[in-house]
Amino acid sequence: MNSKERIKAAMDLKPVDKTPVMCQMSIGHMLIQTGFSPCSFWFDKDIFAEGLLKLREMYNFDGILISLHGHSPNWKDQIKNLRSEKEGEYAELINGDKIFFPFNDLPQYTFAQEKKIPLLNEIALENLPNILDYIPVSQDLHFKIDLQNKFGVIESIIEKAGIEYSVHGEVTSPFDYLIDLLGAENALIALLDDPDKCKMILNHYSNLIKELAVEMCATGIDAIKISSPFAGAGFISPDDYQEFVLPYEKIIVEAIRKENKHVYIHTCGAIGDRLELMFQSGMSGIECLDPFPLGNVELKDAVERISDKGFIKGNIDSVNILLNGTKEEIINDLTERIKIGNSKPGFILSTACSIAPEVKKENILLLKEVADLWK
Amino acid sequence: MEIGLKFEELSNMIIEGKHLDAESSTKYLLEMGIDPKNILDEALMKGMGIVGQRFRDQQIFVPQVLISARAMKFSMKALEPYLVGDNALSKGKVLLGTVKGDVHDIGKNLVAIMLQGSGYEVIDIGTGCSAEKFYDEYLKHKTDIVGMSALLTTTMVYMKTVIEFFKEKNVMVPIIIGGAPLNQRFADEIGADGFGRNSYDAVKLVDKILNIN
Repeated sequence: MNSKERIKAAMDLKPVDKTPVMCQMSIGHMLIQTGFSPCSFWFDKDIFAEGLLKLREMYNFDGILISLHGHSPNWKDQIKNLRSEKEGEYAELINGDKIFFPFNDLPQYTFAQEKKIPLLNEIALENLPNILDYIPVSQDLHFKIDLQNKFGVIESIIEKAGIEYSVHGEVTSPFDYLIDLLGAENALIALLDDPDKCKMILNHYSNLIKELAVEMCATGIDAIKISSPFAGAGFISPDDYQEFVLPYEKIIVEAIRKENKHVYIHTCGAIGDRLELMFQSGMSGIECLDPFPLGNVELKDAVERISDKGFIKGNIDSVNILLNGTKEEIINDLTERIKIGNSKPGFILSTACSIAPEVKKENILLLKEVADLWK
Repeated sequence: MEIGLKFEELSNMIIEGKHLDAESSTKYLLEMGIDPKNILDEALMKGMGIVGQRFRDQQIFVPQVLISARAMKFSMKALEPYLVGDNALSKGKVLLGTVKGDVHDIGKNLVAIMLQGSGYEVIDIGTGCSAEKFYDEYLKHKTDIVGMSALLTTTMVYMKTVIEFFKEKNVMVPIIIGGAPLNQRFADEIGADGFGRNSYDAVKLVDKILNIN
């Protein structure tokens, strides 16, 4: 089995020759390990692709997750000036926005004009975008999708590594777009104040994301991850999940499955109370499953409850184990998870959330080393 | 109607997040000549206390807490003119901020809401706060506690810088921390005076440090 076949077998819930390993990495970690200019890594398709390929090779992972797409080839035209300092790079854009690019984290924007967050009653369906041209990466941070070059980075990576390795794309949950649109507090209040309006917005974004995901499938990608960080118990109840998350993620999942691609959902934090609910979307697998203290998922419990419904990709604690653990603690933790995960077909060894920026290279190399010991 | 029942009614409005009803009920009680401190203690704080417990027990979640906090805010707006100058009405003052390099504030805001709902005055200094900013704001407001929040593993380490800065200045105010990637071990390592796993824990921690039952 090559890496691509190994991941595919796991996603199909079929036997594997050895435990597949594939993690998502924080941008900060990628920057630290590649040493690329953070501004170029953020904006430039070729440098981002080169970084992802280099990191896959470095860690001997079986697949690559492409978390950003839609890089503009003309990104340099937007930059008025760029300077490098000790702690990172500072860019000033033509439109007056300023961006600080730390060497170990996501960029931070200072907007020339204060960003106005609309109130729920100011939003009308006709004012919502008809095309999805941004990824809500983090609070106050969008990645602009160049509509003429939506999937250049994916195509480039598939061309270079797609025969041998599993290549996954990523879209963001409609619930995240709602949170991004209204701001977290207002959006969460809006769920109770005006659920119908929220559903209208969610439905609108679901259709846009669905279109994007279907187009992404056409690139030849192996699977798509739906990033849904606000859908755990740290924010909403299982009832609210059922009402405001599940039906909308289901729209996207069904469209991706129709294209014969695998799709998995990543929700951070405490999701132990909604594992079965998440699978009602029809997704083929689940990613993350943060263990205590970041979340509340015991792998053994998860395997018992959901391994017949789809594949499981997780649940290593990137902070308390990989970042802060000793070598012995890491090996013990990985061994235990591999043992439990492999008790049923469909397990991919991975960090729960992204590999934290400062995690040492040698700690990540242990993942593949330990995984290869367990056939 | 018996006053106890009126308090209970208002308390339930807070719990259910009925902000407009809570505001009118508060005004009504004030017009009836009820002591504002009693309204605060017996209705509003009791309501928010129940909200905190239910949140801890995962009977309710963030949206429900937020609407309760909004109801509390509406009631407080009506009460405030009657509470001015009465320091005894605040259990204490807490300075809150997200550390330098970090723009995430959902957790911090939730802690602020729960603290306010429990009777604390909160000075929220926002996100991306340097050690100097924490220190300057502390000097300005002389709070009883300083609370720091971080969501990122890259920014949580800055909490130690803030603690050391306060030590260098010989300021011994209790400093507490919270945020998804943090834990008690980290709090001990950097010399923090406490760690709260969630907003309910944060309130209990502040109560404990300030010896408030």
